[in-house]
Parts: sequence; C-alpha cells; structure tokens
Amino acid sequence: MRRMPQIAHVDVNCFYASAERAFDPSLEGRPVIVLSNNDGCAVTRSPEAKALGIPMGEPWFKLAPRAKEWGLIALSSNYELYGDISARVMELLGRYSAWLEVYSIDEAFLGVKGTPAELLALGRSMKAAVRRNVGVPVCVGIAATKTLAKLANKWAKNNPAFGGVCHWDSVPLPEREGLMGRLSVVEIWGVATRLTRRLNVMGIFSILDLSRADPVMIRDRFSVVMMRTVLELQGTPCIPMEEERIGRDQLIFSRSFAVPITTAAGMRQVLSVYGQQASARLAKHDLQAKVLTAFAGTSHFNPKDTSYPSVCVPLPMPTADPVILTKAAHALLPLINEGIRYARAGIMVTDLRPTGNQAPLALFENPHEERRVGTLLEDVTRRYGRGSIGLGYGGIRGGPDWTMKRDMLSPRYTTHWDELPLVKAA
Amino acid sequence: MGVIVGPRVIEAGVSLLSVLVSPVPVAAGFPSPAQDYFDGRIDLNEHLIKDITSTYVVRVSGESMEGAGISDGDELIVNRALEPVDGSVVVAVLDGELTIKRLRITPAGVMLQAENPAYPDIRVPALSDLVIWGVATRCLHYV
Repeated sequence: MRRMPQIAHVDVNCFYASAERAFDPSLEGRPVIVLSNNDGCAVTRSPEAKALGIPMGEPWFKLAPRAKEWGLIALSSNYELYGDISARVMELLGRYSAWLEVYSIDEAFLGVKGTPAELLALGRSMKAAVRRNVGVPVCVGIAATKTLAKLANKWAKNNPAFGGVCHWDSVPLPEREGLMGRLSVVEIWGVATRLTRRLNVMGIFSILDLSRADPVMIRDRFSVVMMRTVLELQGTPCIPMEEERIGRDQLIFSRSFAVPITTAAGMRQVLSVYGQQASARLAKHDLQAKVLTAFAGTSHFNPKDTSYPSVCVPLPMPTADPVILTKAAHALLPLINEGIRYARAGIMVTDLRPTGNQAPLALFENPHEERRVGTLLEDVTRRYGRGSIGLGYGGIRGGPDWTMKRDMLSPRYTTHWDELPLVKAA
Repeated sequence: MGVIVGPRVIEAGVSLLSVLVSPVPVAAGFPSPAQDYFDGRIDLNEHLIKDITSTYVVRVSGESMEGAGISDGDELIVNRALEPVDGSVVVAVLDGELTIKRLRITPAGVMLQAENPAYPDIRVPALSDLVIWGVATRCLHYV
C-alpha cells in the first residue's frame, strides 16, 4: 500500500523562556516571563507564570510592583540568543526530512512518511534530539494536513498523556471528535477571531462543527481560505509546504511581523534592514546580484483588504552594495497603502554572480563599492553588534522599533565571546 | 533580529565557499605552481566542532579543575549530545548552577570529582539524580 506523506508540526514550548532556561538552570521551576520590544509587555510566559494568572500581553509596568512578591523573573527579549537557538533547532530538524518549512522562529513543518508506529517513533526521536542537543523542549503533532498537525501539536502540549508527541490518526476517532467538539472554532489555525460571530450565526461553534460543514457553502459564504481550512480538517491537504527558500541563485530575506506594519515609514525601516542584510550575505559569499525584488503582503488569513505589492528592480550593475540594494528595495514604498495591515515583507536578490568575474566598465563602476562601504558596515556590525551602525532608516536612528530598550537582558550566551555562559569550577 | 532564512541557512556552506577561493594571488602570466596543491586552510570549526547543533562554548570560573589542565578563565567546548561515561569532564547542574567536574561511575557509586585537592568531591546517589548539561571535549587554555 502506498502511504501518503504526512506533516509533522514541531514547535518549541514557551520558546523564549525555554531558551533562557537552557543556559540558566536556576530559572527552572520558577515563573519566568520574557518582555516584548522595549520591555513593553509579557510575550512569553513559563507555565509557572501562567499559573500566577499573568495574561498574555500584560504590560510590564502593571506586573513590576508585584514581581518580587511572586518571585517573578522578567527578562528582555534576547534576540541574539533566540535566533541562534532557533537556527540550531531548524538545522537539527532538517536532518529528519528534506522537506522542511521554517514557519516561524520557533515552529516548523516537516514532510514525513511511514506507518503510524514509525511516525510516532520519529516524532519522539525528534523531540528527544532537540532537547538533548539544543537544550529546549518541543512538542510534535503529526497528521495528514498542516491544520490537523497544528491541532495535534496543541493537544500534545496540553495533555501530558501524549508525552509531547501526538499522531492524529493513531488516536481513536471518538477521542478526536471529543477534542474537536470541546474546542471553539477560534482555536483552529487560520480562523480569524472576527469571523467567529458569522460562523456562530450559522450554527458553527466548535472545530467539529466546522469540520462537518459543506466546503462549497463555506467558500461561497466566506472565502477559499476558509474552505481550505474545512478541507484540511477533513484530512485533505490544501495548504502546500512552502518551497525551500534558498536556491543557488537567489537569497530571500523575509519574515512575518508580530504586529502588522501599517505605514510606509515602518515599511521603509524594514526594507532598509533587509537591504543591509542582503548586502552582508552577498559580500560574505563573494556574490553580487543583478536584480532585486521587494514585496509585502497582508495576512492570507485576512481575505479583506488584501494587498500584495511587489516590485522588481534591475540593478544598474551587479552589486552587493548596501546603499544601492537599500535604495532599490525602497522602490516598493510608493506601492504601500497607508493603513493596510501588512503581515509580512521581504526582499529577494536574484541573478547572482561571483564578485569580480568581469570588471565592469569604469563608467558603470559603483562609487560606494570603491569606498568599501559594505565591508566597513559589516566589520563594525561584527565587532560592535547588530544595530551599532546602519544606513539611513536601517541604522540606529531608525526609530523605537529598532533601538530597543532591553534593561533586563540576559547574556548573549552563544554569539558573544565576552558573554559566554559561566561554569563554576568550585 | 532573528530572521531565519530557511532551514539550512547558507552559513553551512561558508567554510566551503571560502576555501574555494584561492589565497594564492593569480598571476596573469605564469600560474602559481602552488595553485594545484591548495585545498583549503585548516579550519578550527571543523576541527573542534563535531555537531554545531549541540556544541556550545562556556567559560570556566574557578580553580577546582586545575589538575585537568582547566584554569580560571579558560573556554571549554561542550557537546550536549555526548553520552557521559566514567572519566568524562562534564558540565553538571548543581543547585541551579552550571558546574564543571570529572564524572566517576564506579561500583562504589557515582561521584563528581574536583581536580584540585583543595576542593571536595561530591557523592551522588545515582546517575539519574544528576542533570548533566553536556560533556566537555576541549579546553581553550590561555598560555
């Protein structure tokens, strides 16, 4: 019998807090929260912090007066650490499947194949390996579709009986239906909170209700997006795995935003940062790009006010120059509609070629390359850290989003020699 | 900013790329006779790190491991994926702190040994009572 591939969804439990605990065992068993940019509000809560009744997104100024009494530990977001831990987790997961989609900093989808017993064993093996090698706990959900894999993962997290790994099809049907019947439809991946009222009017309250709805009717009343969710709940894969995003001849810098960007000014900052990242990456590999594409998009879970502007800019000469790349990326700005909630943006550089393969005619020689602006930026960044220098809006004067207040920052254990974890020899 | 650009970030190929570029200046007229023999500089990462996902660098604070050639301020390369055995130099979690000791597993019991007579050994009821954070594989000692 030919087995259909299944999808494993792996994500790190309380990622930021777990990354902190991996290097500071004294945080184990204590309530820990990690604060958002500028030490604004709690974005990650350890189970102990949740047990104190601290809601997600609670502003720090409200918590601070009681922190001592609770024994609550608050930490600033240590992005250098989280980025490295994330990269390690993803690299390790990549060894389990050639078909890996990094969905966010702490979660990934993997294409997997095998008998139910094999899939369970695979999930347990991944969980154990990430814990042992990297030092953070993950849960795994495995199912026929992405939507069900996410649901299985959530179940594995909340029901200790699974031991952190849930293979959806191995759970008896009545139990699965019991779970889907208990969970409100907002709990499912891809259903926006604001649509629940309309679903409720139609008698759809639980995930089970939605899974039993007629997909065509759902498409007509809502959208293709919602229809896909229904089909996925019924076990028909509709949300494909995203292709591997690094090819030999292109580099992509893109991410989803935690908070949507709604202004051209905000978008300008993001594009500036990507322009400089692309420049650094190209220089590192002795490559130059001939074409830059900049793009942005609204959430595909939000079928209203959709906007997917993109612009393709042929560069005046093959280049890795940050000034030129950033300028090219800004060509997207006139297409940005103020007020639209952009959920992601990125740039892609293509048509890459090795630096200096053919010397350009002096006429086309790039004035900045001559002065080694890119190399200088890179050297300063390596030495003094990201954000210590930058161009225009990508630089330190880029505004509050990029110049964060991080008063309770833990050491950047894995990226800075002078902040390595200390081991006691006493 | 924690931007992840795909799973096997191109970083993996960095050392490969850099060795492909010859450090020998390419003369226009006569090719260097060394050119054909160059197959890459020695690479410390490759030498010291078996698995990048499980390897961390930590700094030693204190003198209790002097006898093992590990001094205050040295950097240790620690692999979390290794199975600790009798004689391993391990980073163990003791009272919420990362601590470096020599692990002894003998018929008489499990012990965390200091390598300096001025410091006491610690007896452990069983290996399962110990949280081993990783196994040290190399010491970067300042000379």
